[in-house]
Amino acid sequence: MSEAFSRRIFLGNSLAVGGGLLLGSSLLSGCDGGAAPVDGAALLSSTPIQGGRLRIGIIDGDQSGNLDAHKPVGGGIIRGWALYSKFWEWNRDVSTRLALAEFAEPNADASAWTIRIKPGLEFHHGKSIGADDMLFSIFRLTDPKLASPFAGLVGAIDRTALRKLDERTIEIRFKQGQSFFPLDETLISFGGIVPTDYDPVTNPVGAGPYKLKSFIPGQRSLYSRFENYYKPGQPYADELEIIEFKDQVSRAAALRAGQIDVASGVQAEHSALLKADTRLRLYVSPSTSFTGFNLNLAKAPFQDERVRQAFRLLADRQELVDRGLNGFGRIANDLYSPHDPTYNHAIAQRPHDLDQARSLLRQAGQDGLRVELTTTPGPGVNAALVFAQQAKKAGVEIKVTQVDGSVFNGPQRENWQLSPGATPARGFLASALHNDAPQAISNRSNFHDPRFTAIYQQALAQPDLELRKQLVHEAQGIQHQRGGLLIWGFNDVLDAASTRVGGLQPEQTTFASWRFDELWLNHA
Amino acid sequence: MPEPTVANPSCSPPRTPAWLAWFIGRLGYGLLTAWVISLVVFIATQALPSDPARVILGPDAPLESILTLQRQLGLDRPILEQYLRWLGSALSGELGVSLDSNAPVADILFGRFGYTLALLAGVIALVVPVALLLGVSLALRRDSRVDRWSLSLLIFLKATPGFLLAIGLVLLFSMPHMDLLPAVSILDPDKSLLRQLQFLVLPVLALSLSALPYLTRMVRASMIEALESDYVVAARLRGIPEWRIVWRHTLPNALIPAIQGVALTLRTLIGGALLAEVIFSYPGIGTSLNSAIQMRDLPMIQAIVLLITLGVVLINLLADLLTVLLTPKLRTARRVTMIRRNRRGIQPWWRRSPSKAP
Repeated sequence: MSEAFSRRIFLGNSLAVGGGLLLGSSLLSGCDGGAAPVDGAALLSSTPIQGGRLRIGIIDGDQSGNLDAHKPVGGGIIRGWALYSKFWEWNRDVSTRLALAEFAEPNADASAWTIRIKPGLEFHHGKSIGADDMLFSIFRLTDPKLASPFAGLVGAIDRTALRKLDERTIEIRFKQGQSFFPLDETLISFGGIVPTDYDPVTNPVGAGPYKLKSFIPGQRSLYSRFENYYKPGQPYADELEIIEFKDQVSRAAALRAGQIDVASGVQAEHSALLKADTRLRLYVSPSTSFTGFNLNLAKAPFQDERVRQAFRLLADRQELVDRGLNGFGRIANDLYSPHDPTYNHAIAQRPHDLDQARSLLRQAGQDGLRVELTTTPGPGVNAALVFAQQAKKAGVEIKVTQVDGSVFNGPQRENWQLSPGATPARGFLASALHNDAPQAISNRSNFHDPRFTAIYQQALAQPDLELRKQLVHEAQGIQHQRGGLLIWGFNDVLDAASTRVGGLQPEQTTFASWRFDELWLNHA
Repeated sequence: MPEPTVANPSCSPPRTPAWLAWFIGRLGYGLLTAWVISLVVFIATQALPSDPARVILGPDAPLESILTLQRQLGLDRPILEQYLRWLGSALSGELGVSLDSNAPVADILFGRFGYTLALLAGVIALVVPVALLLGVSLALRRDSRVDRWSLSLLIFLKATPGFLLAIGLVLLFSMPHMDLLPAVSILDPDKSLLRQLQFLVLPVLALSLSALPYLTRMVRASMIEALESDYVVAARLRGIPEWRIVWRHTLPNALIPAIQGVALTLRTLIGGALLAEVIFSYPGIGTSLNSAIQMRDLPMIQAIVLLITLGVVLINLLADLLTVLLTPKLRTARRVTMIRRNRRGIQPWWRRSPSKAP
């Protein structure tokens, strides 16, 4: 972290303090400033251009990842956007629309879903898509032997009750006859449709916009256009190349030097540098991914509702957004999924109120409280340190401990007293499955509330929007009153691209730059 | 008059030189070292918190998934059995499959190690001649103004952190409107390295700038020391031309510390020129090792460490062999013990007692 920081400082200051040649180069690029916007405007037309090789730079942390549709690791999730198509796809406002499917509806109590795909679809290797492939894909995703970490999201699916209705139609039912309304939002991400002869290593084919040419783990993968993609005329580029970087600074240099066309997910600290370059464009997506803290209800002192409330009152959310997210975000009200039509906007924004926080802590007998906040190194540390400073003003001593990612997510993961939490933008029911639902895949706050559980189960069985809205409103009231999540902000997602790239636009999701079937390149 | 065919009885038939036996002994020790290190690394990875299954599956994985994967990876077996299994397959040339990407370790490393070697070759090809030339010419102009200024410059280079030099190079050569060289070395695996040498220039330059001061100063110091020795004075008195004294008489004797210096540079670089790999995104093995440790990717860690160990052993061996061959007293030794005893005499300059070098 500190090394990255000093490098950044150097990048920022070197132009000012550098020697003659450095100064010369900065002057040259300064001279260019006046002329370039005209070029940029002229380059970018609104009609997509076919052809060219689109080069995307991603940062994958330390994982080199794989190509598995149902168990993607690291950059495998991004590569999956090129290789695989699903029954649904995401709208820009985080709702879903049909993709491969032409019909997908639950029955009246959401205990069964019927899904029919469009006629005449085929995979990269020419085999046409049928009900057997649909069933195979769901079987594979939920196979205990595959051990997919995402199988938990669709853990409700009853593998023994999957049925083929005809050559293009299947029916999905759920364990013990339960209901499961948010199937689209949970199956969409990792439910890539693959043929029955699929193998993630030897035969990684799907029905996505690009088919694989070569894959070198940890370095790059190359794809060519899939001519029979289900959206006519798309994708636009002849070839797609996904290049992996280890370092934000070097990727920014590659983007500025024209060695890549798109940098997916850039750091807020680089935004000024990238904005200043007239041949680049910065896209700020106001996503509804939340960042916050998990207050562990299984640990003292957070069993006490007053302590949880005090923590949520002592957080200065605007300062956390400004300093933890470099201002790229919006404050939150301890509730997730504000884009969801069922979100309860009537609940008032919780204020920053130190006096009340202190008095609640006093009532709980927790004067001079000391807690430990465990976090992974990286961007989350900033927010943790800012929060620790804020807590001090209310007399709470927060010790910030950094552990590496594998320890953080290790056997201890539900035992941290206080830890950061984040979930990508999803609807209410799906977000709860990531956090505090009764069947959540990891419940770091150990929130278990009988009334919440009852309403949540009812909401799962309620396809009707108006009726579900009432249930969710009550559930959110409970979360806001006594939940274990301190959600202080929604973060923006930043992408940068050359002005030659079209089809990229900000959206509420986190993956504006992964829509490879929409992106095109002015390669002339 | 003896017949020409009859051998002189006082002269024994040509024996294999003693240094060969010494060399084979050293080779054996090297392999033993590699084995011990593989054991130590294996134990160390067991001591790391958390396990590969958990790291691979990420934060959202349910416990059953983790247990299943642990079984599939054989992580639930006794440690000794895991190690023996790895050792057995490693000895038969089978390095296993990366836990992270499911690709064969040998395939991943083959390419990456090749790139690392190319980088090393580039650095050596640039640094050694430049350091020799600079070192010798500075030694000949000892204490002159050029010498003092060059030394200060070298110390400045040495004191500047490597990443600063590298970013400076990027700013100089590859920012908009100065784009003479690519800013990052994203090599195209479909093309041969020779066709994309432009990607090597900046990383080689950056690493060379960090390695150059050390080697130059070492050559300079040992040249100064050698130029003051008695045989040089004697040669001068005999009227042997100065260039011949410098290049034929002095330099070979001054080379021994330089060889050890080159070996030291190589040893650091073979473990991954992390600096170049991070800043220029150069696909070497340093970042692979780093990632493998973060991912607890045991087969990768083991294979990379084994590779690095063997590399270091080999470099040491070659450097020592060159030293022996360059030192007449050792080269012609009759017994291995003489080499062992006398090798203590050819300590590198920084270990010797009072040196005349500054």
